[in-house]
Amino acid sequence: MRKFLLTGLMLGSLLGTAVFAQSDYPTLSQITQRLQKLDGNASVELTSLTKTEGGKDVYVLKVGTESADENPAIAVVGGVEGYHVLSVELALQFAEKLVADHEEALEKTTFYIFPNMSPDAYEQYHAALKYERRGNAVAVDHDRDGKPGDNGYTDLNGDGMITWMRVEDPMGEWIPSKEDERVLVKADRAKGEAGKYSLYRESKDDDKDGKFAEDLKEGIAFNKSLTYKFPVFEPLAGDIAVSQKESRAMLDYLFEQWNIFAFVTFSPANNLSTPLKYSAGDAKKRVITSILEKDQAVNAMVSGIYNETVSQKAFQQNNQGTDGDFFQWAYFHFARLSFSTPGYWTPEFKAKTNAEANLLAWSDSLGQEVFVPWLEVKHPDFPSQKVEVGGIKPFAASNPPFDKVGEIAEEHTAFILRLAEMQPKLEFHNLKTEDLGNGLTRISVDLYNNSPLPSHSEMGEKSRWLRKIRIDMDASADKLVSGDKIKLVDSLGAFEKTSLSWIIRGGGSVTFKAGAPHAGFATQTVKL
Amino acid sequence: MKTMKTKNLIVALALGALSLGSFEATAQQENYFRAIGTPHKPKVEIAWNRYYSAEGLWDWMKKIAAAHPDLAKVEAIGKSVEGRDILTLTITDFSTGKDTDKPAMWIDGNIHSNEVQGAEFSLYVAWYLTEMHADNEFVKQLLKDKTFYITPTINPDARNNFFKEPNNANTPRSGMMVLDNDGDGMAGEDRMDDLDGDGHITMMIRKSPTGRYIKDPLDPRRLMAVGPSQVGEYEILGQEGTDNDGDGQVNDDGVGYYDPNRDWGWNWQPDYIQRGALKYPFTLPENRSVMEFVMKHPNIAGAQSFHNSGGMILRGPGAEEDVNTYNQDDIRIYDAIGKKGEEMIPGYRYLTVYKDLYSVFGGELDWFYGNRGVFTYSNELMVSYLYFHQQSGGRGSQDEQFKVDELLTFGDAYVNYKEFTHPQFGTVEIGGFKKTFGRAHPGFLLEQDAHRNAAFTIYHAYHTPKLSILDVKEEDLGGGLKAITATVFNERLMPTHASQDLKYKIERPDYVTISGAKVVAGFVVEDEDMKKFKEQKFSPEKIAVENVPGMGAVKVKWIVSSGSSYSITVDSAKGGKASWKK
Repeated sequence: MRKFLLTGLMLGSLLGTAVFAQSDYPTLSQITQRLQKLDGNASVELTSLTKTEGGKDVYVLKVGTESADENPAIAVVGGVEGYHVLSVELALQFAEKLVADHEEALEKTTFYIFPNMSPDAYEQYHAALKYERRGNAVAVDHDRDGKPGDNGYTDLNGDGMITWMRVEDPMGEWIPSKEDERVLVKADRAKGEAGKYSLYRESKDDDKDGKFAEDLKEGIAFNKSLTYKFPVFEPLAGDIAVSQKESRAMLDYLFEQWNIFAFVTFSPANNLSTPLKYSAGDAKKRVITSILEKDQAVNAMVSGIYNETVSQKAFQQNNQGTDGDFFQWAYFHFARLSFSTPGYWTPEFKAKTNAEANLLAWSDSLGQEVFVPWLEVKHPDFPSQKVEVGGIKPFAASNPPFDKVGEIAEEHTAFILRLAEMQPKLEFHNLKTEDLGNGLTRISVDLYNNSPLPSHSEMGEKSRWLRKIRIDMDASADKLVSGDKIKLVDSLGAFEKTSLSWIIRGGGSVTFKAGAPHAGFATQTVKL
Repeated sequence: MKTMKTKNLIVALALGALSLGSFEATAQQENYFRAIGTPHKPKVEIAWNRYYSAEGLWDWMKKIAAAHPDLAKVEAIGKSVEGRDILTLTITDFSTGKDTDKPAMWIDGNIHSNEVQGAEFSLYVAWYLTEMHADNEFVKQLLKDKTFYITPTINPDARNNFFKEPNNANTPRSGMMVLDNDGDGMAGEDRMDDLDGDGHITMMIRKSPTGRYIKDPLDPRRLMAVGPSQVGEYEILGQEGTDNDGDGQVNDDGVGYYDPNRDWGWNWQPDYIQRGALKYPFTLPENRSVMEFVMKHPNIAGAQSFHNSGGMILRGPGAEEDVNTYNQDDIRIYDAIGKKGEEMIPGYRYLTVYKDLYSVFGGELDWFYGNRGVFTYSNELMVSYLYFHQQSGGRGSQDEQFKVDELLTFGDAYVNYKEFTHPQFGTVEIGGFKKTFGRAHPGFLLEQDAHRNAAFTIYHAYHTPKLSILDVKEEDLGGGLKAITATVFNERLMPTHASQDLKYKIERPDYVTISGAKVVAGFVVEDEDMKKFKEQKFSPEKIAVENVPGMGAVKVKWIVSSGSSYSITVDSAKGGKASWKK
């Protein structure tokens, strides 16, 4: 019986993984099912923040104990780019592993998990016509000609995917790469190389303006429409930052969660393989565009931990932020520690320098077909030229085959939990009570941040959206001879202390408390 | 001299009695007469020497709309933080076309809640246009051509707070959302306290053996510093209030604080860079309602926002980082209108925000111009020049204010020092200028300055584009073809597209369309004499013109194979519509 039970349990857990961790990235409804399953757990609270223009829920999971709001918190964010389907799965699996295997972490840390910020765009992965989509379902006039979305993609070769089209053209800029002839690279005209092809996304010139796929049938991209370096008027960004339901709902929610001290975002940007660089000039300008010096040191330390925890070695990880993106917003405008990683990238393989050639060589070695061979099509806009459709399949560059995701999720879960262990931690030490006679007692104590992280990022010290460390002495005003009843401290650095003292009249006991939601709280009671 | 006066008086009295007699005799006889420039016997009688609450303003707006149904409509464009309506008047001659088909002027006031008179000034524009319409040809034509969207207060909650609750001349400034200003985790727990219960937050002083001030023996309202080696009698404790939260600070967590004029979506920056900013552009529902209205009304070509004080006609950029946003072509137009404003409003100076005032990110006027390509001014109403017609530099000095209160307002502007027992400071004296003095106009100066500022916005609105189609010419090309050339003329200062608009393609092009002819080819004429034409291959019957410059023209040309009676129309978002028919 016991043996059967054990087997049953093992099977169950095996099956559980097998059934839910399917062979491909989940559909939106599968994601919702998994979130609802998580919601059944006592430590999890699932909320739909809003519905997108496309009618899709934008969810957040709050995972923590009863004192969740008093514990420092990490926000984990996926789906900031709709085509980066891996990021959604990583956020989801982190939530599942946290609840199933690491509940002890919740004693001290709370987690806000936003699994998918771009559900409208994410859906394209499972649609009949697959392409790497960034924008939501709002109608937008990207090329600003007065007509929204009037030149999207066209599936010219009928393969259900949008790739590229190359047009034989002596005036074109592109030639086949020497590393892989399937790949096109720009001719080096400085060296006298002539071009052979013009290159476009697979499309027709629907609005007859001479441009191709410049007014996509998709709306605003979440990861291009936040306030930091908002690329106003650019395609997919729109006219006004944070103009979309999902971005406003998320930010409104975040501004109410005072306990978040750090973000981990799964997005194309990477400041974990290599930390951001500090530029004194840009850090001192009124509009700050460089990570601040002390925060850079924190970024470097956390990056070191990431590289210890995650086995994949960095290769061509040059994206350290793009205009209007989320991960930079979380630091530069929300003033929290902010970390981002794509989670996966094509590893360096056979010394190919071109990213696409590298991807093809790597995929070939695994026997995966990620390339659509160039195939001639008839094109109405190029009646007298040879037009071929082909190229790397959508999603292949940024998302690994699904069977690789388990290990990536395991390692990134470990990283987030290590980050949680480092969180600011306020403690009272060196408590002294001295009897001064005549019923007076002097209390002195050190408030100590027992953490390698500061209580406030350097940016956070500037922001009104992080609370100061507040120290409260509960002795009544008539008993408090000296010392502050309420004292605010701007910040405590890593392993830094501040000394406090009070003189109290009379007997009984007093309690003092110190902390801030994102740095945690310490409490001490003293008998007089 | 004296007898002379007495004699005159007698004559005047006698005349008065005569006229009284004749009035009784003929009951229809007028006993008041039309003054130039002011609506006579207006349907809506508004007193322009006092201030109105939000509800008071709305009442007038509704009365204006009810009295002039063909000229005015009133609608709520959104809600405030506390759920009040944001009420907008649309003023145009509806019998000559929809409001949205005409170039429009946006006017708002009171974004800063303590800067109250912007609401009355905005309301004055609506009142003046509707009441003057019947008697004045200029106004008649103006409302045929243009639309005015007028929102007297875009901060109704805190406007009412300013009047009805204790405040000083600088508060609340924000709206009524309450944030944590002292960083202690609690919001709005240490507000100002009206200890003497007079509705005004003034100053607290206290007798002190180590004080550095005395009361001026010639004027006890005035505190003066003693010399470096002299002993004083008073110390200044600061603003009227108490330490409500026990943190050792007085009045350190009140209403707000945020600045509704740092909440707009052009070069928006967060609070640590731009104090007063909120979470993201248009966090505030009041501003969001304006933004959404403007986005839905691309016919808005000019905008005016009323603030106080200092006597300024301001243009952007608000921040030096935006210097390149405002280019020379547009600045020429800004200058032409702004300098005319200096003549129309004595004591006011035409200035640029970032270099003459202070740097601002996320301000309303930069959003209107940078994001929508709308020529926008922000007037800082009330200037001390209006008191004695002497330049004393914008907001005036305290000495001058004492003089005003002595000679013109006879003590009405000041609360004399009175003793009060304070819970933390013991015996204090409380007194100072009232909240409605200094930044706000005294009643006797309101109407004149309202009219002058209204005239400035009317001049601005007048110079939004006005398009017409003229000089249509035909040329027989043989073989059944003919060329038709038409000129689209803009007879006002402003272009249909500001250069900022052109740079980012903010607004769609203007379309010049021919109908009733079979079009073979269509062109924008680049140089008629040198025969330079730019062909538009796709839908040539509807020529897209990127801009019609101010006081300038654009020519278009079609080659047609048939059509003897045809019509030509121009359709511009900011320039309105015009047509020509053969």
